[in-house]
Amino acid sequence: MAEFRYLETGAARASFNMGLDEAVLESVTSGAAKPTLRLYAWKPAAVSLGYFQGVRDEVDLDACAALGVDVVRRLTGGGAVYHADELTYSVVVPESHPLARGGILESYRSICAGVIAGLEELGVRAQFAPLNDIVSNGKKLSGNAQTRKHGCLLQHGTVLLGVDLDAMFTVLRVPSEKLRGKLIADVRARVSSVRSELGRTIPYEEAVVAFERGFGAAFGGLDDKTSPTPEELSSADLHAADRFESEAWTFKR
Amino acid sequence: MKGSYVGKPSRGKLLRMDMEWEDGLVVQISIRGDFFAHPENAFDEAEAALAGARVAELGDVFERELSARGVTLFGLTPVDVGAAAATIVVGAHNPDNGA
Repeated sequence: MAEFRYLETGAARASFNMGLDEAVLESVTSGAAKPTLRLYAWKPAAVSLGYFQGVRDEVDLDACAALGVDVVRRLTGGGAVYHADELTYSVVVPESHPLARGGILESYRSICAGVIAGLEELGVRAQFAPLNDIVSNGKKLSGNAQTRKHGCLLQHGTVLLGVDLDAMFTVLRVPSEKLRGKLIADVRARVSSVRSELGRTIPYEEAVVAFERGFGAAFGGLDDKTSPTPEELSSADLHAADRFESEAWTFKR
Repeated sequence: MKGSYVGKPSRGKLLRMDMEWEDGLVVQISIRGDFFAHPENAFDEAEAALAGARVAELGDVFERELSARGVTLFGLTPVDVGAAAATIVVGAHNPDNGA
């Protein structure tokens, strides 16, 4: 039996996705579950905000409402992310685990090794770019964020399978319409995707297989794919309703 | 008085700050951005504890409040927060400079 439990939960709404990451963090914290890797996606598309970001600073709420894009505040810091054509992962380990040792920077590096190995499985060569990015040919492909609570570490991050910059800049706020064109050009120069790197579309299902192999190789093996426990699922629903869908949380800053 | 700051400190993440102050003392402050702080809720407490602090000493006070709660920052320093506060105050007294 491998050291890591492996969950693949498909596409779900933003509040449930964040609720399930919190539920898994709790079950690893309590000892009810062992270190866990989860792969997932977002449906509908969503914007997730860093813990310390102001929602009105970063998100065009009217555009999100009009387009049916969810908005959720994460437990983790970092920047706002538009989640559409991507694969998302979360890793939860006790702080005593080798992946969590050596300080924040080293733990980012250790966990991101799984993302880099997954990209390699797809044929994309990528490198860790401190503090929390992964780049290929100098362009960002993946952003990552972590928090530590109750003796456990949660790191989640995205891998851009494709990127629609026009949609991204419709839902994320830019300082002014005048700057929109320049910003899109700047971001186009700094952000890439698996599709851009490979010149072909990678469906989520194909990415899952690659990242299962990549994380497995980097983490010393994964258990067979399984589902969250009934307790985790009900806890995820509770967190989704009580925290991640609440205005008090979303508009905290 | 009230003022705002948006900027990217050297080697830091984006920092947005709103501050209200009176007679050189902070009445209310909001520090936002894409930085990281662990534990996050202890940062919230340290930020709230800035009410009543002298604006001129904000960086030092914030450092003490964070340190007392064991908060580690990435992409932001207490010095950045103190400098942003100074920029806000200068901007308020010299509106042409813009905060």
